[in-house]
Amino acid sequence: MTGIDPYSYASFGVAMSIGLSTIGAAWGILLTGSSLLGAAVKAPRISSKNLISIIFCEAVAIYGVIMSIILINKFSAGSPDSGTQAQRMFSGFSLFWAGLTVGLSNLFCGVCVGIVGSACALADAQKAELFVKILIVEIFGSALGLFGVIVGIIQSTDGRMP
Amino acid sequence: MLSVLFESDCSEAAPFFGFMGVTAALVFANLGAAYGTAKSGVGIASMGVMNADAVMKNIIPVIMAGVLGIYGLIIAVILIQKVKSPYSAFSGYAHLAAGLCCGLSGLGAGLAIGIVGDSGVRANGQQPKLWVPMVLILIFAEAIGLYGLIIGIILSQKNEPC
Repeated sequence: MTGIDPYSYASFGVAMSIGLSTIGAAWGILLTGSSLLGAAVKAPRISSKNLISIIFCEAVAIYGVIMSIILINKFSAGSPDSGTQAQRMFSGFSLFWAGLTVGLSNLFCGVCVGIVGSACALADAQKAELFVKILIVEIFGSALGLFGVIVGIIQSTDGRMP
Repeated sequence: MLSVLFESDCSEAAPFFGFMGVTAALVFANLGAAYGTAKSGVGIASMGVMNADAVMKNIIPVIMAGVLGIYGLIIAVILIQKVKSPYSAFSGYAHLAAGLCCGLSGLGAGLAIGIVGDSGVRANGQQPKLWVPMVLILIFAEAIGLYGLIIGIILSQKNEPC
């Protein structure tokens, strides 16, 4: 564990935060988009309202971008010669796990919002009043990505490279 | 890793396990919450096509799944306050255990809530008398996540100063 360079840990965390968030967002968009387009064949009225589900998925990717910019600023502070090895290792671990927290939370959130968004489009195509009700479920789903960002920010506060 | 096991104080690698506990608490709980939200959300959307008036009452499984994410957030925030720069290996392992307890219990509870919620709301849409039994079963599933939270809180109080 201590044999691996702390900058290696930190940069892997940054990569995971943006990489996994975008995979989650993309997965959600593919789930929602395909259902939306299929359902809109017989009910074209749903296509403009249900774009909000796609936007919820995109927001997950934005969380990943914001977090990775925050992590990059902490990662590129200081220089490899300043501070003790213990401080550098602490920062490395902090950024690594903060990146994984954000990335994995956004991955699961994106898939969840995608599945619910797909169900929302299909239900809306059959009964228009269901759109707002299923949107409430989607809002609960997107809160999970926010939890990840909150914990990621707190986790990385002490993670500034010395 | 073996050298970490035999050091008793102020290990450089101990923050790795502390931060891993924070991440595990949130990420696994989020996975459970995401599964619960998505699975029951699809059930609600399908049921709503036949019985739109029952949708608002049946959002209960989604709320209970969201609460599992809150449990993970609580433990993650508690643990983050304790992972500081001189950090003993004992604390690291205790906090990893706390995070895994809460996270994996939340994952199990989320799986249960998702599947019970899905079949419960579909059944409730056809037979209104089934709402109370569905909520009772969901409460038992939620209690599983609560057990993990309790043990996680107890474990997070275990601290050995460096």
